[in-house]
Amino acid sequence: MEYIIANFIQLDLSTALQVVLLGFIGGVLSGFIGSGGAFFMTPGMMNLGVNGVVAVASNITHKFGKAMVGSHKHGKAGNVDKKLAAYILGTAIIGIQIAVAINSFLFKGASGHGMAKGAGSNLYISLVFAIILSFVAISMLKDVLGSSKSGNADSGPSRKIADAMAKIKLPPVINFKVADTTVSLWVLMPIGIATGYLAGTIGVGGFIGVPAMIYVLGVPTAVAAGTELYLAMFMGAYGALSYAFQGFVDIRMTMLMYLGSLIGIYLGVYGVKVVNEKYIRMVTSLIILLCVISRAIAIPMYLRQLGMLDIDPAWDVYFNMTSKFFLFFSGISGCLLILINVIKSYMQRRGIQKTLRVVKETAQ
Amino acid sequence: MPIVLITSPPHGLGSELARNLAEKTGWPQYSREELVEEAHAQGIKLSRLETSIIKSPVISEHLAWEKELYLSFVTDTLCKKLENKNLIYSGRAAHLLFPGVPHILRVGLGVPLEMRIENASRQLGLSSEKTQEYLEALDEDVKKWVHYVHREQANDPSNYDLFLNLENLSLANASLLLQNTAELADFRIPEQDLKHLEDIHLAARARLHLARNKETAGLNLGIRVRDKVVTVTYMPRQTAAATSISKALSSLEGCRENLCTMAETNILYVQECFDPKADDLGQVTQLAKRWGAAVELIRLIPKGEEAGICLEDIRSKPLSASHKDSGTYTGGVEDDGPDISANDGGLSDTLEELVAMGRSAGGSTVTGSGREVIHAVKENHNYSLVILGNLFLAKGPQASTRLTRELGLTLHDNLRTPVIDIKELKSEFLFGKAQAFKLILYSLIILCIYTLVFSFQKPILNFIGGDLHEKWKWVAAVGMVFFVPFIAYVYGAVSGLLLKLIDID
Repeated sequence: MEYIIANFIQLDLSTALQVVLLGFIGGVLSGFIGSGGAFFMTPGMMNLGVNGVVAVASNITHKFGKAMVGSHKHGKAGNVDKKLAAYILGTAIIGIQIAVAINSFLFKGASGHGMAKGAGSNLYISLVFAIILSFVAISMLKDVLGSSKSGNADSGPSRKIADAMAKIKLPPVINFKVADTTVSLWVLMPIGIATGYLAGTIGVGGFIGVPAMIYVLGVPTAVAAGTELYLAMFMGAYGALSYAFQGFVDIRMTMLMYLGSLIGIYLGVYGVKVVNEKYIRMVTSLIILLCVISRAIAIPMYLRQLGMLDIDPAWDVYFNMTSKFFLFFSGISGCLLILINVIKSYMQRRGIQKTLRVVKETAQ
Repeated sequence: MPIVLITSPPHGLGSELARNLAEKTGWPQYSREELVEEAHAQGIKLSRLETSIIKSPVISEHLAWEKELYLSFVTDTLCKKLENKNLIYSGRAAHLLFPGVPHILRVGLGVPLEMRIENASRQLGLSSEKTQEYLEALDEDVKKWVHYVHREQANDPSNYDLFLNLENLSLANASLLLQNTAELADFRIPEQDLKHLEDIHLAARARLHLARNKETAGLNLGIRVRDKVVTVTYMPRQTAAATSISKALSSLEGCRENLCTMAETNILYVQECFDPKADDLGQVTQLAKRWGAAVELIRLIPKGEEAGICLEDIRSKPLSASHKDSGTYTGGVEDDGPDISANDGGLSDTLEELVAMGRSAGGSTVTGSGREVIHAVKENHNYSLVILGNLFLAKGPQASTRLTRELGLTLHDNLRTPVIDIKELKSEFLFGKAQAFKLILYSLIILCIYTLVFSFQKPILNFIGGDLHEKWKWVAAVGMVFFVPFIAYVYGAVSGLLLKLIDID
């Protein structure tokens, strides 16, 4: 890969358009799923030859601006618990700091020893990505299939863990009015650290933050999504500042992603209104699983670059292409499924404008 | 003709007090225990709902549907029990039933824990310690139930008309107090409120009727009734059910007319008086068409103000003599006579207009303030926007602005939905000249920035990650943190306006 300067790749028109497409697909998916989008955009950029740490840094910066606009809208709808966000943020900063330190160490430490630039950090990001998102996708699929079997397809999330956590009365115990929950600070802390660490490592803190708020703290889904976005704004700002200080943010990538994502997100949100919840969860989990497969396929390539696996370097191109195929297949097919529903509903909405009226003379 | 609703804590002598009052007055008495038995007999899975709410009080579509069904069953059963418009009902959160219907005597009982333990221990044959544990757990469960089913706090004093502490008051004296209070004129339900009660009953029967119909069972529907006209809103994914809903409702006794509107969401439009020809309504329906939303109208008459004068107020015309003569206070609920629209502040005419456009989600008249509006709409949690129109007209412009703002805050806190003033509607949600100008200006700004960045990639990248960055690390990092949200905001506004232009937002 040709570099224009330091860590930044040379950008031609085709690569630029692919980044816009990544942004669009990521935007549609993140609008539809409610969080994430980075799970598609980060590996997507890596497949285009962007170093893992630069992809994460550019993505976290992209998310920062997006969250700033989005959380304002959620705030208007009363879905943001600022007090809860402030508590999680306090601990999330520790997580981000850990993530930035590890990423920088692996990026710098792995180069200059005859190894491919950034291979250490690429491997590390890919591994964390594959492990965490496999867990998320499988849990989601189990949830959907379980609820289908029980015939209660739209049952809400389980309260088992939240009820158990509510019994922990270790001071200080804090009440969150908007989220309508009371919880010990000691339960909040690990959630904050984990959210910050994942946001800083793979740029998808929301995948841990939102389910943790719902399942562990018992926060209503809409408030969890709104609060996470509010949180993402500050975590994104901190992450962007930290990575920008290290010189890893490629502003061109961030700007190109915006071109697609800010339109995509509107269409994704629109999709949520017209598709039922079970379908949303099913599509989401399948897309994430395909993204995990895509990232897993790239792992042998990074292992070889680090000298940990003895395979022909010529195979790199095949690993990369297969990984890219799975990623784009998952994103494009998921995006198409959502867009088909959006268009169908848009046409239907224009077609049906009349209220059905039945008048009956009743015996008074 | 009083209706007395008594809420007491579990094993807190509520049924005993109700029985005592019934013996004194001869009014029919009904308890939650009987209600539960009847629910079981009719196949309402009450215990499953209780377990779901207590164990997992997160609103799911199915749980919300079961809750609506349960509340409809309670409303229907109690309305059927009304004899000569009299009823004494005691049970869990009884005082929160029939929300929004005034002149019902809503009573709360305060019973010392020791008294309840003694009572429960005798009934259940448990030790005092075990009984106390049991009662404490039960109180927690009831609190969750009230919070979820009625969206209220169990101990909110503003929901009661009378709260009796039984620590120093005998049951006989308490019931005497209740009898005297219930016989006051304040607790005689006037004709117009009885009509409102009939509409609430019809809405409950419609929901139960649709739930029992094979083709419409399980559908999550919005149901509103006004003057025996049932308005049902359904989701686009339930389009196939629209004809079935209409067919099912045509056999519902007491339903004069039924309207089925497909809507992805609802817009709540609150105003003191409506005019079907007003520009404001045109803007609201324009937005509703774009969002695929149905519009629900609430005519809010501030307490103590005359109804029926607002059309003239809005048009700034003097009151006509005939209107002045017919301006008797009706509480906002009009008779079935031919002059309905003259007295209802344009509500009927505006609803007709919405029906013609296929955007009606029904409407109603509410007398009071924010609290009464919340009571009238709280079972519907599918609002995307609340629009506050011309309100508190008699108070003068400044007081009207302040009271409207306060109402907006109350509705926002309770419904958790964006609330805007009608004057902001155009700038926030519609596309006009100002938006076109903004789109052009912001597009130019974005075009300039993108051209600059991509024309001077090398020096910019050098500053944010190259040799220059080594010297100016902090400046580059801070600059990035300010630059990125600016881009997101400006380009976000451009993409939002573009989609607004083609009716997708």
